[in-house]
Amino acid sequence: MANKRESTSPVTGVKTANEAKLEDLKTQSGDDVAISDMQAETEQPGEADIKTFMEIVQQLEDELCSIVVGQERVIRELLLALFSGGHVLLEGVPGLGKTLLVRTLSEVLELKFARIQFTPDLMPADIVGTTIVTDQSDHNTAGSRRIFSFQPGPIFANIVLADEVNRATPKTQSALLEGMQEHTVSVGDATRPLPRPFFVLATQNPLEMEGTYPLPEAQLDRFLLKVLVQFPKAKDLMRIIDTTVGLQTIQAKQVASGEQLMHLIETARAVPVATHVKEYAVRLLLATHPDQEDAPESVRKYVRYGASPRGLQALIMTSKVRALLEGRYNVSLEDLQYVAFPSLRHRIILNFDGLADGVTPEDLIEAIIEETSTS
Amino acid sequence: MVTNAPSRHSAIAHDDTDGERFIETLYPWRRRLWIQQLLNWTENGVIIGIICVCFLLLISRFIPWANVSYWAFGIAIVFLLCAIGAALRYRPSFARSAHVIDTQLALHDRLSTAWELRDNSAPISVLQRRDALGQLSKHTPATTISLRPGRIRLLSFGIAAIVLVWLLLIPNPMNAVLQQQAVFQARLNRQIAAINQARAVIYNQTAISAQERAVIDKILRDALAHLQQSSSEEQAQQILAQAQSKLNQLRDPQASQKAQARANASSALQNSSNANLSNAGKALATGDNKVLDSSLQNLASQLNNMTPAQRAQLAQQIERAANEAQNNPQLSSALHQLAKAVADGKSGEVSDATKTLESAAAQDSANQATSDSIDQASQFLQNAANALASSTDSSNGQNSSQSQTPGQGQNPGQTKASGQGQGISGQNNTNNSSGKNEQVFVPGQVGSGTSNISVDGSTGTVQSGKPVPYSQVIAQYSQMAHDAINNSNIPPDLKNLIQDYFNSLEGRQ
Repeated sequence: MANKRESTSPVTGVKTANEAKLEDLKTQSGDDVAISDMQAETEQPGEADIKTFMEIVQQLEDELCSIVVGQERVIRELLLALFSGGHVLLEGVPGLGKTLLVRTLSEVLELKFARIQFTPDLMPADIVGTTIVTDQSDHNTAGSRRIFSFQPGPIFANIVLADEVNRATPKTQSALLEGMQEHTVSVGDATRPLPRPFFVLATQNPLEMEGTYPLPEAQLDRFLLKVLVQFPKAKDLMRIIDTTVGLQTIQAKQVASGEQLMHLIETARAVPVATHVKEYAVRLLLATHPDQEDAPESVRKYVRYGASPRGLQALIMTSKVRALLEGRYNVSLEDLQYVAFPSLRHRIILNFDGLADGVTPEDLIEAIIEETSTS
Repeated sequence: MVTNAPSRHSAIAHDDTDGERFIETLYPWRRRLWIQQLLNWTENGVIIGIICVCFLLLISRFIPWANVSYWAFGIAIVFLLCAIGAALRYRPSFARSAHVIDTQLALHDRLSTAWELRDNSAPISVLQRRDALGQLSKHTPATTISLRPGRIRLLSFGIAAIVLVWLLLIPNPMNAVLQQQAVFQARLNRQIAAINQARAVIYNQTAISAQERAVIDKILRDALAHLQQSSSEEQAQQILAQAQSKLNQLRDPQASQKAQARANASSALQNSSNANLSNAGKALATGDNKVLDSSLQNLASQLNNMTPAQRAQLAQQIERAANEAQNNPQLSSALHQLAKAVADGKSGEVSDATKTLESAAAQDSANQATSDSIDQASQFLQNAANALASSTDSSNGQNSSQSQTPGQGQNPGQTKASGQGQGISGQNNTNNSSGKNEQVFVPGQVGSGTSNISVDGSTGTVQSGKPVPYSQVIAQYSQMAHDAINNSNIPPDLKNLIQDYFNSLEGRQ
């Protein structure tokens, strides 16, 4: 697939309206990236930025918790990924509020939201868009002519809910790959940038359920976090009854814009990380590899492949956000231990023995945290 | 909707005083941690030192260790000094102090990060330092870092101290062994001094040649060197027995026969009616060569005035003496020659014969002197062995006296040995003691001649003879057997058989 940034249609030589918008976006986005890179070297977030960050995050968390009941940890992990600029894979049985959570998030953030319901017959073009033939009026001839125009798919949104992503075939699942990593979509011979911010929040059903296709490791690795949605407790179920089945339904209010969100992401990136914390993160990551000397015995026995360097980036980035969420200006070892579970659980590939013995990645991460030296 | 306020980082970006204030704040914490480390390490040094002392004292209860106290004390001091020295040398750094305080106060790495970024002027780093200082200001070093020893350390110290006191108070069974060793060493030193004196005596004897003196002296010197390294009585006895065996190898195997023959010959000559011949016999018996020379000269001058019958009678008497001395071939030959010369009455032959006889007598005297020196040296060694054995007997008697009648062998007594060890009719003293200290004795029969060993204890009992340690006896018998085998006509295969037998006896001792 060509990766040229060609804005003119090769067939008609005329830009479509959508393409023109996308071109503007692309140009603006490219300039923004260059500027923001320069600013990253010169500008540092100040006390007010940090305060703003904490306020927004607190409001966001409160709004989400008021709508989605009994999933505080899920919401916290979702926010970690959101302010880290990463994608999230939500896993849980149907009916736990995964879709509600994502929809609510888009509402409180004033972002363009698109939902894709993945089914076995869903095609990649249904996600990324396709080129269609349309009639266009020609002012010179006062007639019309047929041109090819690109019809963007639902992936061209700020928040994309890939609902039940593992119900589609691997071919369709892979349509998300480029967008998730490069924030661009290549269709035909043109590469089109995705709007910023861009988040993919995918939900998936447990793999044991019928009619599911496991996500490829390459795609799993592109999700910053994998969040497990647990069944609510009894008291949370009572609250669900009160808030959802009554006459009054709670409406989420908008908390921040996409631009603010981008700024908050930059703010979180500035949180300092001490050397010993970085070293601990590296030790944690290396301990997931069975061929490493410091790996626990259970990892050696049950793990086929350990986490990639993306896992390390996920550990550090989400730890920075968690530190700010906890009211600190530095990353601690406890932050790393907290985020290790959602950051690494989908990056640890079990071998046959691990699958046969019913070992879960969580068990292994727990063993890794327990056996990895903190100093 | 909350909007971002303008950044105020310019107001705090160059706040360098925060870093200095952070270091100043951390100083008292670090000092307190250092004191805590000093106390902890000192306590650890004391505990480890006491444990090592206990270990050494425990070992000394199984292995005799004379100066274990000095070692134990030294090791305890070394551990203590090492612990204090290490605590002083490796005082906690600021980074380590920050990490420890983070852990103790659950500050979530605030201080560690602030210390690492103390020179960073980025606004968020300044905020981080202020946050760390703010958290730290809620606590004080005195309340956070306790100098009291931990419960586990106190418990360890208590247990170690109790074990140490127990080991110090309960008598050490190895002390008796050490006392015995000390007593043995003292006795050994006395005997070594006695043998040294014997060396001097023998070395100053002029009757024997310098070469023979050197050989005897070397044997005694070697024995002394080995004795000084011996650690047990059995070993000492073995060394003494081996030295005696070496001395015995220096003896002329026919010495006793020759001496007997000489005595018989001198006796026969003394029975002569001729005064000169009788005087010569006496001189031969006493080994006085001058008197022998003058007597023979007188006899030679007397011959000129004698009748052939008188000369023949005199020759017969000399011939009889020669026959009596047949076990001493040289003397016998000289006497035969003298008898023939006397019978012939030729003054030249008589002169030659008297010279030959004087030479044989002188040679005999020299041999006798050598033999006497060897006997003397051997006797010194035997006395030393007896002294060691008698002391062991007395000490064994002391050990076993608890179950014996009082008054039997509780004092070492005085050992007086005379003669050359022949015919010691010592009783078989098995010394009822059993176990590792049991020593087997056999009735001694060492060397030749007569001996009389009496032991005078405090109770006044007198024993006839003295038992000799088995190890000493077997060594002597082995040497005697070796000599006898080599000097006899036993076939070679039987020689090996007999040697194997004695080797097997040595292996079982």
